[in-house]
Amino acid sequence: MTHSPWSVDAAMAVLEPLREEPGPVLIALQAIQSEFGYVPTEAVALIANTFNVSRADVHGVLTFYHDLRTTPALANEIKICVAEACQAVGSRELERILKTTYNDQVCEAFCFGNCALGPAVMVNGKLIGRATPTKVAEEIN
Amino acid sequence: MSSIKVYVPGDSAAVSVGADEVALEISRLASASNVELEIIRNGTRGVLWLEPLVEVQVGVDRVGYGPVRAEDVAGLFQAQFLTGGSHALCIGEVAQLPWLAQQDRITFKRVGIVDPLSLSDYQAQGGLVGLERALSMTGEEIVAEVIESGLRGRGGAGFPAGIKWKTVLETSGESKYICCNADEGDSGTFADRILIEGDPFTLIEGMTIAAIAVGAGEGFIYIRSEYPAAVAKLSNAIQIAREFGLLGSSVLGSGNAFDIKIRVGGGSYVCGEETAMLESIEGKRGVVRSKPPLPAISGLFGKPTVINNVLTLASVPAVLAEGAASYKSRGVGRSLGTQIFQLAGNVKQGGIVETGFGISLGELVHGYGGGSLSGKAIKAVQIGGPLGAYFAPKNFDLPMDYESLIAAGGMLGHGGIVIFDTEVDLAIQAKFAMDFCAIESCGKCTPCRLGSTRGAETIQRIIDGEDFEPNKRILLDLCEVMTDGSLCAMGGLTPMPVMSAMINFPEDFENRGGGAK
Amino acid sequence: MTLLIEPDFGTPRSKRSQKVTVTIDGTEVEVPAETSIMRAAATIGINVPKLCATDTLKAFGSCRLCVVEIDGRKGTPSSCTTPVADGMKISTQSAKLSRLRQGVMELYLSDHPADCAVGDQCKVHGMAKEVGLTEVRYAGKTHLDVPKDESNPYFTFDSTECIVCNRCVRACDEVQGTFALTIENRGFEARVSSSGTSFIESECVSCGACVQACPTGALTEKTLLTIGTPTRSVVTTCAYCGVGCSFKAEMKGDELVRMVPLKDGGANEGHSCVKGRFAWGYATHEDRITTPMIRKSITDEWREVSWEEAIEYAATGLKRIQTELGTNSIGGISSSRCTNEEVFVVTKLVRAAFGNNNIDTCARVCHSPTGYGLKQTFGTSAGTQDFESVEHADVIMLIGANPTSAHPVFASRMKKALRKGASLIVVDPRQIPLVRTPHVSATHHLQLMPGTNVAVINALAHVIATEGLIDREFVNARCDLESFAQWETFIRLPENSPETLEEFTRVPAETIRQAARLYAAAPNGAIYYGLGVTEHSQGSTMVMGIANLAMATGNIGRKGVGVNPLRGQNNVQGSCDMGSFPHELSGYRHISDPEARSIFDNKWSVTLQSQPGLRIPNMFDAALAGEFKGLYIQGEDIAQSDPNTVHVHAALRAMEMVIVQDLFLNETSKFAHIFLPGTSFLEKDGTFTNAERRINRVRPVMPSKTGKSEFEVTCDLATAMGYPMHYANGADIMDEIAAVTPTFAGVTFTALDAAGSMQWPVNASAPLGTPTMHINQFVRGEGKFMPTPYVATEEKSSRRFPLLLTTGRVLSQYNVGAQTRRTSNSVWHPEDTLDIHEADAQLRGIEDGTWVKLASRVGDTIMRARITDEVPAGVVYTTFHFPESGANVITTEYSDWATNCPEYKVTAVEVSPSAKGPGAIHEHEIDKNFQLSSIVRMANQIAANIPSTGAPEIEVAHHLVQFWTPTMLQHLHEDVDRTLLSPVVLRALDIESVSN
Repeated sequence: MTHSPWSVDAAMAVLEPLREEPGPVLIALQAIQSEFGYVPTEAVALIANTFNVSRADVHGVLTFYHDLRTTPALANEIKICVAEACQAVGSRELERILKTTYNDQVCEAFCFGNCALGPAVMVNGKLIGRATPTKVAEEIN
Repeated sequence: MSSIKVYVPGDSAAVSVGADEVALEISRLASASNVELEIIRNGTRGVLWLEPLVEVQVGVDRVGYGPVRAEDVAGLFQAQFLTGGSHALCIGEVAQLPWLAQQDRITFKRVGIVDPLSLSDYQAQGGLVGLERALSMTGEEIVAEVIESGLRGRGGAGFPAGIKWKTVLETSGESKYICCNADEGDSGTFADRILIEGDPFTLIEGMTIAAIAVGAGEGFIYIRSEYPAAVAKLSNAIQIAREFGLLGSSVLGSGNAFDIKIRVGGGSYVCGEETAMLESIEGKRGVVRSKPPLPAISGLFGKPTVINNVLTLASVPAVLAEGAASYKSRGVGRSLGTQIFQLAGNVKQGGIVETGFGISLGELVHGYGGGSLSGKAIKAVQIGGPLGAYFAPKNFDLPMDYESLIAAGGMLGHGGIVIFDTEVDLAIQAKFAMDFCAIESCGKCTPCRLGSTRGAETIQRIIDGEDFEPNKRILLDLCEVMTDGSLCAMGGLTPMPVMSAMINFPEDFENRGGGAK
Repeated sequence: MTLLIEPDFGTPRSKRSQKVTVTIDGTEVEVPAETSIMRAAATIGINVPKLCATDTLKAFGSCRLCVVEIDGRKGTPSSCTTPVADGMKISTQSAKLSRLRQGVMELYLSDHPADCAVGDQCKVHGMAKEVGLTEVRYAGKTHLDVPKDESNPYFTFDSTECIVCNRCVRACDEVQGTFALTIENRGFEARVSSSGTSFIESECVSCGACVQACPTGALTEKTLLTIGTPTRSVVTTCAYCGVGCSFKAEMKGDELVRMVPLKDGGANEGHSCVKGRFAWGYATHEDRITTPMIRKSITDEWREVSWEEAIEYAATGLKRIQTELGTNSIGGISSSRCTNEEVFVVTKLVRAAFGNNNIDTCARVCHSPTGYGLKQTFGTSAGTQDFESVEHADVIMLIGANPTSAHPVFASRMKKALRKGASLIVVDPRQIPLVRTPHVSATHHLQLMPGTNVAVINALAHVIATEGLIDREFVNARCDLESFAQWETFIRLPENSPETLEEFTRVPAETIRQAARLYAAAPNGAIYYGLGVTEHSQGSTMVMGIANLAMATGNIGRKGVGVNPLRGQNNVQGSCDMGSFPHELSGYRHISDPEARSIFDNKWSVTLQSQPGLRIPNMFDAALAGEFKGLYIQGEDIAQSDPNTVHVHAALRAMEMVIVQDLFLNETSKFAHIFLPGTSFLEKDGTFTNAERRINRVRPVMPSKTGKSEFEVTCDLATAMGYPMHYANGADIMDEIAAVTPTFAGVTFTALDAAGSMQWPVNASAPLGTPTMHINQFVRGEGKFMPTPYVATEEKSSRRFPLLLTTGRVLSQYNVGAQTRRTSNSVWHPEDTLDIHEADAQLRGIEDGTWVKLASRVGDTIMRARITDEVPAGVVYTTFHFPESGANVITTEYSDWATNCPEYKVTAVEVSPSAKGPGAIHEHEIDKNFQLSSIVRMANQIAANIPSTGAPEIEVAHHLVQFWTPTMLQHLHEDVDRTLLSPVVLRALDIESVSN
C-alpha cells in the first residue's frame, strides 16, 4: 500500500468527486485515508469547508471509527482477530507471540468472517486462515 | 471439444488457506503439459473444512478434491483429476457429499456453483425469475407474498420482513430507500460474506424486488471494511447489473428506476444496529437513534426505509420465484423457511449449513461439525454472536428456532455457532463480552457506555477471586440495568453471554483461587 | 424576591392540534398528539427523573432515567422519546423502575466527582438522592483527572463533571446552529469536545447555549464560581441589539451573578448571544462616571459638582443662548439605547421646555429611511412580523443585513428555518456568513456593488412584473390601484431590466431572474433587511422598493411573510415611536397635524411649534453657521458614530453649551461643557421596544449608581429651565405616553407585567397587541406603490479614490464599543481591521496584518489590513467599534435624500501601506458656507429622487415643507446661489406652500 504525501491539491482531487454524494463526511475521511495512509489534521478543516459542515462534525466522525487513523500508517499492518471464534482456536496465544516479534504493528480486530478457519490474521490487507507465526512471517517477507 | 472446466474457489476463506496458490499451480502445470482448461473462481460451497476444494467438470457432474494445497496439485495431475481420476483427496461428486446433500439450499442454491460475476450463469441457475415475477405484480401483491412466506429478518431480531415492507409501502414519501445491512460483525458468522462473494446477484435481485415492492428508487449496501473481497465483488456485480439493465433508470425495461450504492463501514460493530447503520450511511458518528420514529417511517435521511439483512434480502428471490407456499413449507412453528447456520470456532467440519429451522443443536455440532477441531471434548457453544448465550452440551437437544432459543435464555441471532473445547474459561469469556461492549459501545446511553466498563472490572474481580458473592450481586444488578435500561441491543444483550455463562457454567465463576483457571 | 426557576417539561411542546388522552399513574390527562410521555406527565405535576432531557431540545433518550412502564408493552421505554397514544396507561413508578434508576445513577456517580464545585447547579447528586441511591459499589477507571478548559473568558469546561448527556452539543446544533461541539471517541471514552481544540480556538461563538443546557458543573459561568450561587432573579431586557432578548438577571445581593435568557421571552425564547449573556461587565466598570462634572471651556479640566450645580449650570447656559440667538438655537438628541420613558421625557424637554422641535435621535443615522419608506407605502413605520414568523417562511430574502453578527439570536431562528428547508437569497456586497455556513447555504447570493440596492430591487420587480408573477388577486384586493398601475408601467420599463442594470449592479441578470422567480413563487416569501438598505443616498427609495416587491407578490399580512427591518439598537424602534424625529410626535403623527398637536398642548399645557425642527446633520450645519449653540445629548457618541468626523468635531466646537449624558467619558464628551452621569440598563425602570414592535419591560436589577434615575435628570433640567416636569417612576411616564399615543393606548406596566410583553399597536381592538400587521388591510387603508427610479450616488470611485468602502459590525463588539470594549469580548475582536480583496492588496503591495492608510476625500485613518475573499475586488470593508481607527473620519456628508440618514455604506477610498500605526485625527478647516452648500445639495438630491408620477416640483415642495425648518427654507429662498439649484427645485420654490 503506497500513499501520497499530504498536499491540499491532492486532497481536493480526492474530495471533489464526492461533492454530489449524500452524507459525504465518512466516505471523505476514508478517501483521504486511502490516499495518504491516515487523516492529517489539515484534512479536517478541508473536509468541513468542502462539504459545508463544521470542523466539530468532522472531528466527531474521525474519532468514532476504529479504521480512521490520525498518524501515518506503519510499515506493516498485522490485524489479528481476537473475537470468540478465533479465541476458541487460540488467537489470544497467537497474538501474544506475534506481539513479541512485531509489537505495535500488531493490532486487534473483531472478525474477518473466516470463523471456521481461524485463527484469522490480516497482514497488509491479505487474509490468512489457520494462521501461525510462520504463515504470518512468510506473508511479511 | 470445449476446454475442461476447473473450479477453484475465489472466496476469501478459501484464499486464506491457499486457493490462489492452488489455482496458479493448476494453470502452470496445465500449460506445461499443454492441457487446455478454464479455471473458474467460484464462491465457496461453504464446506470450509474442505477448502481449498477444487472441482472438475466431468460430464454433468462436478468431481471434488480437497482440501488441496499447492504441493498436492502435481499429484492430482498424475491422478488424472481432470477426468475425475481417483486420489486421496477426491471426495467424489460434490453434490453427493452427504454434508451437502443433507442440506436444503434455498438461499445458497447457487453459491459455490456459479461464476459469481456471470449473469448468464446466474440466469441459467434460476436467477431473475423472482424479479421478473415481481415486475408483473403490484407492490401490495409482492408485500402480501413476502408476508405469506413467513420470511423473518435473518439479522437477528427475526422481525417479519413483509410487515416491515408493508409499513414502508404505506408511508408516503417522494423518496424511499432500501438499506441492506451487510455489517456482519458477529464472531462466528460469515454467511453474508460468502453469499456476497459467491452469488452477489441474488442480493441485488432481492434488493430490487424490495424496491419494486415499496416504491424505492435508491438502495445502499452497508458492508464491513473487514470484507474487502466482498466489497470488490459487489462493486463489480453492481456495475455488471447496471450494464445489463437490471439496475438503473428502468429495471429490466419495466420503467421502475432503482440503483444501489455501496457504503463501507469504519470498523465499528455497533453500526450493525440498524439506526446506527443509518447514521453511518449518512456519514455521521455511528450513534444509535431512539425509536420511534421507526426507520420504516423515518429512516435514511429521514425518508421511509426498508432495512434488511443480506440473508433476508437474498431469500426474497427464491420466495418470489418458488412462491410463498413452497418457502413456508420448511421450518417449524413461527420459524419458517430455511436458516443458514454457520459452524465456527473449534470445530472439525466448519462451514455453512442451510436447512429448515428446528434442527437440534447437537445435530449441528456433532452431526455436521463432527466435534471439535482439537479433538478435545466440547465444553461450550455460543450461539448468535458476541451478544449470544453460551450453552453447554446438556443443551444439545435444543431445537434451533427463534422461539426455542429465546425460551432457553438465548437467541438465534445471525445463526452463528461458535464451538469451544474444554480449554475455554467461561469467566474469561464473560469478561470478554463486557470488554467487547466497552470497546464497541457507541457511547450514547449510560448503561452501555459506563456499564460495560464497570461490568468488565467487576468480572475481573471475580476472576481474581475477590469476594465472590458481593461482586456477583453487583454483576447481577448491573446486568438488569443494562438489559432493561439500554437504548439498543448492544448494551441490552451484552448481559446475555455473561448471565448464560454464570448460569450454565457456575463452576467457572465461584471461589476461584485467583487468576485464570 | 426569589430565584426564578422556570419549569422544564423535558421535551418541546407538540404543535399538533389533535388531542389524545392517556392515564399516567392513575390520573387521566389530555395532551396534543405526539407529546412525549415525559411532557404529558409534567403537565400534571409528575416529574419523571431525567438528566439528558430538557424542553428546549429534541428528545434524545441517552440517560435512561426516565424509563416508564406501559400497560400491554414489554420493556421499559424512555418517556422522553416515547409519544403518547390514545388510551395509553403509564406507570412512572415501580420497584423495577426505581432499581433501574438507582442503577443508572450508581453508574453516573462511579465517574463523577464526590463534591461538585457548583453545588446545586450540578443535578447529578440531587438526582441520586431523588431516586434513592444510597451507595456506589463500583470502583474502577474514571475521567476525574481530565484538565479544565478555561480558555473562554466567560465559562469553564470541566470534563470531570461531564455526564456526556449531549445537551451542550444538541444546544449548539439545534438552538444556536453553530455545530461547534461534538462527542469525540466512543464507548467509555466518549467525551464532549469542541472539535479537539480548546473552546477559544474552536468554532464556538460563545453564545452560552451550552452553558445553559448543561445539567452539571461541566459548563459553568466563571462568575458563578467566583461570586457563588444566586439567590434572586429579576426579569429584564437586554440593552444591546434590536432583537430585545428577555433575561433573568440572577443576583446575589446587589451583585449580578449571571444573565440567563428567559424561555418565556417572546423575542428570544430562551436563547442569547455572547453580548447579552456575558458582556454586561461594563455596567460596573471602573470607567463609569457617577458624579456630574462641568467645565467652562472644553480645554479646561473637568470639575466634579453636585447635581444641583450641574443642572443649574446647564439651564442657565441654555437659557442664555436662547435669549441671545432665539428659541430655536438649542436642541436635544434622544438615545435609542435608553428606555421609551427616558426618550419620551427628552422629547418633552425639547418640545415643551426648550419650546422648539429641535429634537432628533440616533435613529437618524440608522433606520430613519425605514420610518419614511414604510410610512409612505404601508402607513406605519415598523416591521410587519414577529420573529417567530421566520419559521413559517419558504423563501427568505436577506438584504444588507448580517444577522449572525448583528442580530445573532434572530440569526439562529433564521438558520433553524433554513435547515428545515427554507431557501435563502442574500443581497449583499460581502460574502456574509449566511451565504455559506455549516448546514446552511444561500440559493442565490446577489453580490451587488455598494450603492446599487435600488437597481437590484427594481430589476427583481421588473422580472416579477414582466414574467407574469404579480399576485393580482392580492394587489386588487389590498392595494391602491392607481399607484399600482403607475408603478407597473414604471417598473416594466426596459431601463429597469436586470440586463440593463447589470452594468451598475454587477449582478448577472440571470441570477436576478432566478432569484425573482424563487421569491415570487414562494407560498411565503419574507424580506429581512438591515442598515445595508437604509444607510445610502437612496435608503428611503430602497425601503419603498422592498415594500413594492412584497405587495406585488402578496407577501404581506400573514405569518411567514412581510417586510422586516432588523433594528440596530435595543430601542431604536421605541425612540422613533416616542416622537424623537423633529417632524413627528409620538405614534408617527406629523407636527403640522393640529389635532395631534392639540392633544399635547392640552396635556403639557404649552403651544407646540407647528413646523419641523432640525435634524442632527442640520444641527451641525447650523452650529457651523453660528445659528445653533446648545445641545443636550443623551446616550449617543455622535463624535464617533456620526459620519465625517472632522465636520462633526468642528460643529461641536462651534457650540457654547454641549451637555453629554452617558455612562462613560466618550469622544463627544471631549467637546462637552457638562457631563451628566447616566444609568446602565441594569439600573433602569422602563421599557424597550424591539424590531418586532415588542414592548419589553426593563426592570431595575440594582440601584442607580448616580443616585438618580436618568429621566429624573431630564426632568430636573426642564424644571430648572422653568418648565416643571415630575414623574414618580417609569409606569407614571408610560401612562402619559399611552394617554397621548393611540398605538400605545392600551399599554401600562401592569398590563406588560401580566402579559410578559406586547407588540404595538395595543389598543381597544388589540388589547394584547399585534404580532402581525396589515392582516386584513394596511394601516393606511390601501397599500401604496411608489415609483423607485434608480439614481446613482454622487459618491463614485474615481482615479484618486478607486475603491468603495462599506462598513458594518462584528459579533463580539457593539457599535462604538463603549460597552463591549470594556468587557472580555475584545478577546475576539481587539481592533478594527480593513478587509480587502487579495487582488486589490497585491496591486498596492499590502500584506495581511500590516498597517494601511485608508483615505477618502474628507479624511484619512490607519488600521490593519485583513486580506479576505469575503469582499469582492474593488470593495473594502471595516467596522467602527474603536475610536483609534475612527472609521467615520472617512465617511462623507452624503446622506439619504429623504431623511438625511448618512451614506455610511458607500465611500470612495484609496488604501496604501503605512509605516506607522493609528495616530491623532488631522482636523482641518471647515468651510463656513458649509450649511448653504448642504442646503443646495439636499434640495437638488430631493428633486432628483422624489417619487413622482406627475409634476415633481409639487412633491418636492411638499417634502420641503414636511421636513425642513423654516430657517432652512428661508436660506434656500434667500441665501443660496440659485444657479446651483436644479430646475425642479426652482419651480418648487415658486409654489405657495414653500414661499410662506
